[in-house]
Amino acid sequence: MLTALLPESLLVATALVVLGLGVSMPGARTMSTVIALLGGFLAAAALLIFPIDGNFLHGMVVLDPIARIFKLVILALGLIAAVFASESFLETHFAESLALILFGTVGMMLLTGTEDLLMIFLALELTSIPLYVLAAFNKASRASAEAGLKYFLIGSISAAFLLYGLSLIYGVTGSTNLLAISKAAADPLLTAGIVLTLAGFAFKVAAVPFQLWAPDVYEGAPTAAAALVASGSKVAGIFILVKLLTAGLGHWSGAAGWGQFLPGWAPVLALMAAASILLGNITALVQSNVKRLLAYSAIAHGGYLLLGLSSARAETIPAVLFYVIVYALTTAGAFGVVAIVEKQSGGSRLDDFNGLAKSSPVLALCLLVFFISLAGIPPLAGFFGKFYLFSTALENPSMLWLVILAIAMNAVSLYYYLIVLKHAFVLPACGDIRPAGSPASRVVVAALALAVLTLGLAPNLLLGQITRPVPVKVASLKTGN
Amino acid sequence: MILTATFLSAFAGAGLILLLPERSAALARWIALLAALAGLGFATVAFLDFDSAGPHFQFLTNIPWIPQLGISFSTGADGISLVMLVLTGLIAVTGVLFSWNVTRRPRAFFAFFLTIIGGVYGVFQSFDLFLLFVFYEIVIIPKYFLIAAWGSTNREYGAMKLTMYSVAGSALVLLVMVAAYAASGAHSFDLFTLADPSKSHFAPGFQTWAFPVMFLGFAVLAGIWPLHTWAPTGHVAAPTAVSMLLAGVVMKLGSYSALRVAMTLFPAGLDQWRLPIAVLAVAGIVLGALVALAQKDLKFTVGYSSIAHMGFVLLGLMTLNLAGLGGSVLQIFSHGIIGGLLFAVVGRMIYDRTHTRDIAELGSMNLTKALPFAAFTFTVASVASMGLPGFSGFIAEFTILKGSWTSLPWLLIPASIGVVITVAFTLRALQRTFFPFGEASAPAHALDPITLSEKLGAVILMAATLAVGLFPSVLLDPILRSFQSPLMHQLLK
Amino acid sequence: MTNDYLLLTIFLAIAIVFPLIPLAMAWAWARLFSPAKPGKDKQSSYECGIESTGPAQVQFQSHYYLYALVFLVFDVETVFLMPFAAAFLKLPISAFLALMVFLLLLMEGLVWAWAKGILAWK
Repeated sequence: MLTALLPESLLVATALVVLGLGVSMPGARTMSTVIALLGGFLAAAALLIFPIDGNFLHGMVVLDPIARIFKLVILALGLIAAVFASESFLETHFAESLALILFGTVGMMLLTGTEDLLMIFLALELTSIPLYVLAAFNKASRASAEAGLKYFLIGSISAAFLLYGLSLIYGVTGSTNLLAISKAAADPLLTAGIVLTLAGFAFKVAAVPFQLWAPDVYEGAPTAAAALVASGSKVAGIFILVKLLTAGLGHWSGAAGWGQFLPGWAPVLALMAAASILLGNITALVQSNVKRLLAYSAIAHGGYLLLGLSSARAETIPAVLFYVIVYALTTAGAFGVVAIVEKQSGGSRLDDFNGLAKSSPVLALCLLVFFISLAGIPPLAGFFGKFYLFSTALENPSMLWLVILAIAMNAVSLYYYLIVLKHAFVLPACGDIRPAGSPASRVVVAALALAVLTLGLAPNLLLGQITRPVPVKVASLKTGN
Repeated sequence: MILTATFLSAFAGAGLILLLPERSAALARWIALLAALAGLGFATVAFLDFDSAGPHFQFLTNIPWIPQLGISFSTGADGISLVMLVLTGLIAVTGVLFSWNVTRRPRAFFAFFLTIIGGVYGVFQSFDLFLLFVFYEIVIIPKYFLIAAWGSTNREYGAMKLTMYSVAGSALVLLVMVAAYAASGAHSFDLFTLADPSKSHFAPGFQTWAFPVMFLGFAVLAGIWPLHTWAPTGHVAAPTAVSMLLAGVVMKLGSYSALRVAMTLFPAGLDQWRLPIAVLAVAGIVLGALVALAQKDLKFTVGYSSIAHMGFVLLGLMTLNLAGLGGSVLQIFSHGIIGGLLFAVVGRMIYDRTHTRDIAELGSMNLTKALPFAAFTFTVASVASMGLPGFSGFIAEFTILKGSWTSLPWLLIPASIGVVITVAFTLRALQRTFFPFGEASAPAHALDPITLSEKLGAVILMAATLAVGLFPSVLLDPILRSFQSPLMHQLLK
Repeated sequence: MTNDYLLLTIFLAIAIVFPLIPLAMAWAWARLFSPAKPGKDKQSSYECGIESTGPAQVQFQSHYYLYALVFLVFDVETVFLMPFAAAFLKLPISAFLALMVFLLLLMEGLVWAWAKGILAWK
């Protein structure tokens, strides 16, 4: 059992060491970053060398190959955020920011390896609280304080909703284990529980109408924190939502088809998806700050993911999982570019990207790859993710209404992605730009761009891992027709 | 393998150009020329190697790519594909030749250019729906940057309009594609499987909405009226090579894909929507020509003439008989060459030197004396565009009209009127620009002479249209034969 | 079931009434026994007979909040220690180790707070 939680324990130990380092040697930024990265690599090695499958502590810790892939991805995203954090201006409390990133990563990893309501809540809080603090980390910026406060307040309220919902589910079904819950009988109180739980998770995924925190947090928080929020917490949130809905609440899915409405969580998700896709894409059209634009695009992508879930078919699940990983890698890379540009030009408004192609051609090319992947243009991973998602969602032909909306809004989204690229490639720079940004972040950004391209040309590398048959059964979702 | 070499050479060229250091940026155009020549070489060799007595589809490659969705890397060629590939090669080479004077950021320019060429090569040889769509979309983004960064009039607006229209069209196609995956029952994206009635079946109700959506999605890129307004704005805003590309091959992508995919997959839907689409096609011919007649800007005139000529292609597609369909494919080739030539003259030879496209102003410059080669080339191009016998346009348009007479006789009248108006606006543009009344003795402006690369490019294109005009069977035979294959034969009524 | 809710209703009624009684008594006392305070001078705060100067609002020292935070953490730790202590004899040694890890983590938090100077009044 100890080896089951070995990666997380290693990360916690690393975080404590980094904290100790921060107290004893406050100026040692590079050493703290190196130690954090080393700890991360050790944890990854532990994940790969000890591939444990099984059910521990009555479902509190559940490991299977897919969960391990997600833990690996989350670990990578956490380390990427740590590298971007070293890019920042923050001189004081730098080691604490690294420790918080590591603790948040631990929370996300725990979230992907559980089947118990209590553990879900615990891990969710362990993920969120470091992120709240990280969002407010830049003490010199009012926007950062606003971001942290909004994130904390709205996050706490939704955590309260979530806890209430989970407790209602426990009250009705008599157990906190997801598999035991799936065997329970229906009950009106259960509906209330499910709705409240969905509200809590919708906050994590930034779905309408729980998306108000996202633009301010993405814009105000230090870019590394925003990167972790955008990529890591979305991956973990979607994974556990998938697990909850399929393994636990599969019986009460209902149907969201046009003219085939059945009450359940699927119609709720479908409506949230439609609203998110519409609001996210349309509001992004008028943004002038790239980080805010990425926030609205995150809302839209949350909508696409919820679309996949709302079709309530077992075939769509691998597509959702594939897409969230691809999206997380792309967004992390996009935020990395933004971090470097912020250092170069002093801000992240559209005009700060002018002339990027001339001053840093490789960086501009990476930006092109990330944004075109987000827009869903081949041959990049974002396109295949969306394609796979829509194809499998249409296994339920009555979902056509939502897919039409999604494809239409996806075409619209190309406009605002192209606007950013226009500033980078077409418009000349205002004033002199000296290329900045540490080699480490540039290497990470380039590696992410390469990963996005590779996954677009050979998606089987990831897809083959995700569609392997899983020891833990996925209950009761309709398969095929 | 030889087909794969066409787009691989283009992408490899693009990659190589990006790796060039700043001081060797002038080498970019040479690498681009080499890559374009390689592509043309491969396409021509494949065309010559095609065994006219052998199977309909040759040079087949099929590598499983994503088994979970039934997607494979499936390419091949029949007569139609090979004609398209040769067209792409010709436009690629001449496009590079006419861009020889690009000195601002040449590496990025030629890299984007070669990416578009690679994507176009890919579309013309794909027989897997997913693969075709991937190549189709690869073409969209570089177009935006080429127009927005190196274009002229209203370039940012024109680039965005063109890109958004293209993406909207692709969105329609994507919608039908993902819907077809589940609706066919075959769980595959292979074109042969999906078009085979014994392996996949599309319900008539599904076809009623799927066909027009997919056809219109492809036809947006082909400039179908009334979804054509991106074309004149985009063409005018684009730099010369990009206008040549746009008119020469990109607009052809839409009509080729409409023929290859939309029409073969949904025959029942085609039957229902045939007449409305044919009417739209003829509307494009007539209205495109009328609007061209009213233009004061030479490039706009050429842009609208593209709409008119593409209307013929769509009309031919809707005739659903051998003459119409064969003529339609030939018109795709023919207009590709002629449109490319026209844009080359207007953009490179004239605009780059005089910095004006206004017909009246050009008329006062005595261009016949200042740029005699340009006058000669534009005359040849205009004459070919009007459909004079001896050039490829005549064969193509005549065959389409013959096909229309057989199955859509009433539409023959407006189409023929369209031909007459085409002659009118072409002659008007030619005469007012190069042979204005009463200005023959005006002093000639001192303009840079036509360079060798321009002459080479012009000669290649003029020779191509003349050759096909005099020996049409070189192209028509493979085209007509490819309509005997099981995939395409089901189209004929 | 009716009985349970009846109990709850009575409980609710008492819970509402219970705090109101002192309030009502205070109001009644003020009404009946305290001297009248008719004017502004009578209402003002007492500062040894002289006019009060300066605003009545003093800036809240954030250090109180930091102390309260650290106190809260250790208070909750104590709450967790209590059931552990109650069941101590029946638990295996692994439980003891787990709780030691828990205590150690919180101890490191205290060390960190101490080293960062949070506990010193500035």
